[in-house]
Amino acid sequence: MSAVLGLERPQVVSHVQQALSYTVFDCKWVPRSARLMCLGSAARGTGIIQLYELHGARLEVLREIEKPKPIKCGTFGATSLQQRFLATGDFDGNLNIWNLEAPEIPVYSVKGHKEIINSIDGVGGLGIGEGAPEIVTGSRDGTVKVWDPRQKDTPVANMEPVQGESKRDCWTVAFGNAYNQEERVVCAGYDNGDIKLFDLKTMSLRWETNIKNGVCSVEFDRKDINMNKLVATSLEGKFHVFDMRTQHPTKGFASVSEKAQKSTIWQVRHLPQNRDIFMTSGGSGSLHLWKYEYPAQRSKKDSEGSEMGVAGSLSLLQNVTLSTQPISSLDWSPDKKGLCVCGAFDQTVRVLIVTKLNKI
Amino acid sequence: MLKHKGDAHPGRCISARPRQALPSPLSPDPRPEPSCACAAWATAGRPRLRCGQGRVRVPETARPRAVMGDESVPYFLGEGTTKTYQIPISHLDYKFIEKCTDVKHLEKILRVLRSGEEGCYPELTLACEKRIECLDPRSRALRKDKPAATASDFTAEEWQAINSELMSWLSEMNEDDKKSQLLRTDTPNERPDNLPPIRCSSSCPPTNQNKNLQNKQRSKKNIPRDYSEWDKFDVEKECSKIDEDCEESNSKARFFCRPSLPIIEKKIDTTGMTKREKIFIATREKEKGNEAFATGDYVEAVTYYTRSLSVIPTAAVYNNKAQAEIKLQDWDNALQDCEKVLDMEPGNIKALMRRATVHNHLQNYQAAIEDLNEVLSAEPENSMAKKSLLEIEEKLKGLKPVSEPQGKGKKILIEEIEDSESGEGREENTEERERRGGDKSCGAAAAARAAAGEPAMGNAHRKSHGKGKAQQDRDAHKHKDSAESGGKKGASKKKSEKHLSDHEGEVNGYLRSDEKSESAEAEEISTPHGEGSQSAGGGSSTSLPPAAAKLKSEGNELFKSGQFGEAVLKYSEAIEYVTGLGEQSPDDLSILYSNRAACYLKEGNCSDCIQDCNRALELQPFSLKPLLRRAMANESMERYRQAYIDYKTVLQIDSSIQAANDSANRITKTLIDQDGPSWREKLPPIPVVPAAAQLHRWDGGSLTSENKPSTTDINREEELQMNCEEAAEKFKRLKNEGNDFVKMGEYEEAAHKYSECMKLNTEECTVYTNRALCYLKLYKYEEAKRDCDHVLQIEDSNIKAFYRRALAHKGLQNYQASADDFNKVLVIDPNVVEAQKELEEVTQLLHLDSSAGDGSQQAHGKKITIQEVSDPAERGEGPLAAAEGAEEAEPKAVPRRSSQKLRVSEPPNAYDFGQIINALNASKDKAACADLLTTTDPKTLPVLLSNKLEGEILLLFIQSLEHCIAGKDPGLAYQHLFYLSKAKRFKVVLALLSKNEKEEVQHLFDLLTESQSDQYSLEDLESLKKVYEL
Repeated sequence: MSAVLGLERPQVVSHVQQALSYTVFDCKWVPRSARLMCLGSAARGTGIIQLYELHGARLEVLREIEKPKPIKCGTFGATSLQQRFLATGDFDGNLNIWNLEAPEIPVYSVKGHKEIINSIDGVGGLGIGEGAPEIVTGSRDGTVKVWDPRQKDTPVANMEPVQGESKRDCWTVAFGNAYNQEERVVCAGYDNGDIKLFDLKTMSLRWETNIKNGVCSVEFDRKDINMNKLVATSLEGKFHVFDMRTQHPTKGFASVSEKAQKSTIWQVRHLPQNRDIFMTSGGSGSLHLWKYEYPAQRSKKDSEGSEMGVAGSLSLLQNVTLSTQPISSLDWSPDKKGLCVCGAFDQTVRVLIVTKLNKI
Repeated sequence: MLKHKGDAHPGRCISARPRQALPSPLSPDPRPEPSCACAAWATAGRPRLRCGQGRVRVPETARPRAVMGDESVPYFLGEGTTKTYQIPISHLDYKFIEKCTDVKHLEKILRVLRSGEEGCYPELTLACEKRIECLDPRSRALRKDKPAATASDFTAEEWQAINSELMSWLSEMNEDDKKSQLLRTDTPNERPDNLPPIRCSSSCPPTNQNKNLQNKQRSKKNIPRDYSEWDKFDVEKECSKIDEDCEESNSKARFFCRPSLPIIEKKIDTTGMTKREKIFIATREKEKGNEAFATGDYVEAVTYYTRSLSVIPTAAVYNNKAQAEIKLQDWDNALQDCEKVLDMEPGNIKALMRRATVHNHLQNYQAAIEDLNEVLSAEPENSMAKKSLLEIEEKLKGLKPVSEPQGKGKKILIEEIEDSESGEGREENTEERERRGGDKSCGAAAAARAAAGEPAMGNAHRKSHGKGKAQQDRDAHKHKDSAESGGKKGASKKKSEKHLSDHEGEVNGYLRSDEKSESAEAEEISTPHGEGSQSAGGGSSTSLPPAAAKLKSEGNELFKSGQFGEAVLKYSEAIEYVTGLGEQSPDDLSILYSNRAACYLKEGNCSDCIQDCNRALELQPFSLKPLLRRAMANESMERYRQAYIDYKTVLQIDSSIQAANDSANRITKTLIDQDGPSWREKLPPIPVVPAAAQLHRWDGGSLTSENKPSTTDINREEELQMNCEEAAEKFKRLKNEGNDFVKMGEYEEAAHKYSECMKLNTEECTVYTNRALCYLKLYKYEEAKRDCDHVLQIEDSNIKAFYRRALAHKGLQNYQASADDFNKVLVIDPNVVEAQKELEEVTQLLHLDSSAGDGSQQAHGKKITIQEVSDPAERGEGPLAAAEGAEEAEPKAVPRRSSQKLRVSEPPNAYDFGQIINALNASKDKAACADLLTTTDPKTLPVLLSNKLEGEILLLFIQSLEHCIAGKDPGLAYQHLFYLSKAKRFKVVLALLSKNEKEEVQHLFDLLTESQSDQYSLEDLESLKKVYEL
């Protein structure tokens, strides 16, 4: 491709590569810092939380905490900017909140699920999202539960299949629509391709669809605005972008889909500084940087006169292949635009710099 | 020969492979390929095995092989196809690839080439990639696995920059960390009080006694919610319910039930946050605002900017907010925000430019010019500023004859004097009145100036200026100042204008597409559809040489009178003349072509029309009219695909053009009929309109109205073709647009939309009532009344129509009729609180009018005439920002009077008395009723009540007598009771009183018995009691 074009486009630079001695499942930037967390499973079957600090071109371990159960996922979403407590979900179905300064005993702990917690998300903290701080967990036991760290032992909302109906493995959960104190939705993706949107204000199922293949990751472009877009990635390498502004009574939300690669898309993360740019991480160790372009008109009237959304288009800004193993986790730094961390199954965590994001 | 080739191009060596008759069953891509022309042909031409044995076709390379004469081998001899897609081997060729335009086919070729199954040809692969890239830069086939970028992918400086940027951020972060750690001890624990309650438990009172209850509620909510429970919520039903509500077309109700108008807090609580955190949050909110702005959600953008500002006010955010407000045409706030930016950063170019835009729209041209001059002094090359400056000066020139307003101003002075004279009786009012007079005179001056400017400006800028009255007043003040110095300044400006007009052609030529609205206006004025005044506007706003301009305006005239043939001749002459001159601004020429195209279209000469449109578009890409005309011509020539493309392009530029929308839909149907479900694939690509040429729905408030003439024109033509269904659909759409405008407070626009609706369907009452509402908001009471009358002719009990007509009557100071209508509203639905309130008010006014009317008949008469003069001033003030109907629709004169305390004087006749009673009854105001009764002579009561006595009124009388009068003046109470019993219908009403009500009467009599008076004896009371059946 032409050199000129290449210069205009964002480039993905692998800034630091850090080999780990365990399998990393999730990595997260600690808000308002240059530190990051790696969560995973050690060879002897215990859980590991590692705190790294970025020093120039290397990562320095600040702290390593070992816990009895492998840790699958974590979030800072429901904590304040001052406290920065890490909420984690482990293989045993436990939800724990850790004070990283004193990690011996969790600040909050609950056996939330019967089986592994696959996914966790938080809202209401970090100045992101109005309303109460809440954590949502999705588990292999088929349930999605919403927790308030101020309420011990019991979830504030529980969404599970009706008795007798087969339990689907919930792979991913995400908060959204938290633009004022009342409104809030949870989106959950399941192994059979179901995507369900639960409205926490009305405590109802607002929308559901099926994308035919297991849903690996869902994320709203921003949690704290009137829900705008939702990206859902799937097992077979496709992802769907739903325009969440206009819900048609029968057709639901308009969407556009794109195939990034032949392998599973493990993760999608929106750039915190620009909701229309997001990165997907693939099973073949590749990363794709996308931009969503809105159509000239985002909604139109159908023949019955009800509003229906119009999906926009997607353009690939950049793609790189970093590894031969799947990249299972991805996180943008909330503070530094373009700084990004990803963990792959080759037991490596990489700090990436994505350049020229300002010029898009 | 083969060997030779192989030597020459070592990259292209090939292994001989026997061809297979059938494709491999294990094709790597199991999914069926979408059918396309090329693929079909490829399979059709599948060769037989005949001469394939052992023979290998080597992909031909055009140039090097030409020497060797290999080209003489024709394609059909190239038997053999690729394994995977059965592409004829001959397609793996430079020549073919260069000519092929089917991206899908090329992608397949590329895949074959990359796979290496037919051999390895790096150069050919590269050529194929290039070809695909040039056809479709986004093609997925072009995506390749790439390693992460490294230092070698950047220049040394870039690499340095990337690293140093990260380093500085790191050090900043580390520093900050240490600081915040120190700070953290100061701010021990959050702000738990500010946190919202835990979900579901918010209703539980947090007292110990309620522990059980709390637990219960908790256990209740812990019952697992299963899917079936979720499913009980019938989304469809809910949505349709919402839709139904919307269909009621009550714009207010629509407003409330629309789910997409989120309530977002305007402020962020930042207590206990460190400076860093505040910056973090402010930036975040700003980013949200920017994103919303980019998507066209300007209201949302303003909200988020406001939130950002509530955390940390910065100039940049104010500046962005101003821009969003400009898009929303909220000039008042935009001006304020620009001024804030300039307070913080004097000389901020963007803020100056934006303030100039605002001033321009507020018709505050001098101020706009000053701002632009400041911009130009800082950036002499700023072409945008130059262009706007020229345009504004052009407008100012049109405003020159300002002698008239002075005359009007004088008349208003008279009013002031008159007011103070007649106001002597009511001292408390005069001061207020004078101030109002002053306001009016300012408003009048502004309006008069605007009116004077109008003919010259054409239909350009008479639109939605000023949302608030205060704004307009300020504006007017400035006008006054500038009017004084106008003469002098104008003279000096003229010089600079002349100097600048040298640049005009150039500026017009190159900057058209930059600033949308202004440039578009200029064009519209000079096109034949711009009704009236376009000759004047056209002459002044374009740089056509006078001869050509004359020809053009003649052409316009002819076009208007329907002589299209002659108009074509004129336009052709003009075009010839202009092209003969050589270098010319392309847009003028484009307009001429576009106009001629319009003539051809009218004549039915579609091919010439298309030609002219093409020329116009070459000169001026993405201009609306030629595109529309070409689309229509194509459509009538049954070239639906091209027409569809053009309509779609038009819609990209301005999505609000109804005609294009409708036509595109219609053509879609035709194309589906014609080409089946895959019709889209047969379309040529739709050109992507650059963002600069796009008009989003919001930013073209003024522009959409400018487009109206043409759209309506098109509409008229299309109405004939449209079947009823489409008309209904269009009607609905127009109505909804109108409703949307109402919501935005754009009443003029809304009224326009409704008027268009009426063209389609005169039976639909809601449109009329809605338009009436708009007219009310615009103070056009006559029109509002007319609409309501129309509705009431069709539907004689339309409550909205009655209510709005009542308001209109009130505005026209026809209080009697107004009161009548309010009464009718209350008859239909007695629970309309607004109507009750209004009725009360109107009755008061009515009363005042009639009581004051006799005394100052003459003065009154005079005043009306004068008010008519100042009427335009009132209109010029524009609609006040609207939220609640009733209060705001009041005419100016009303609050002045109603501020006065109601003094009930003796009503002169039965009618007035009835009105007052109705009003009092509506509010159950006993004190006021008592006042009324004290002023009324009891003897006249039967006459005044005539046959209007009712249970409620009787009760009211009894109550007010009991509570207010009996204590003070039992004699009067007795008198009233006595004469009340003489009124008509008394017996009937009495018989209908309930037991409680009877008790009230009894109570009153008891009271009267207790408090003796010389006006009645106990016997009298007893006998009266009998009359009252006690």
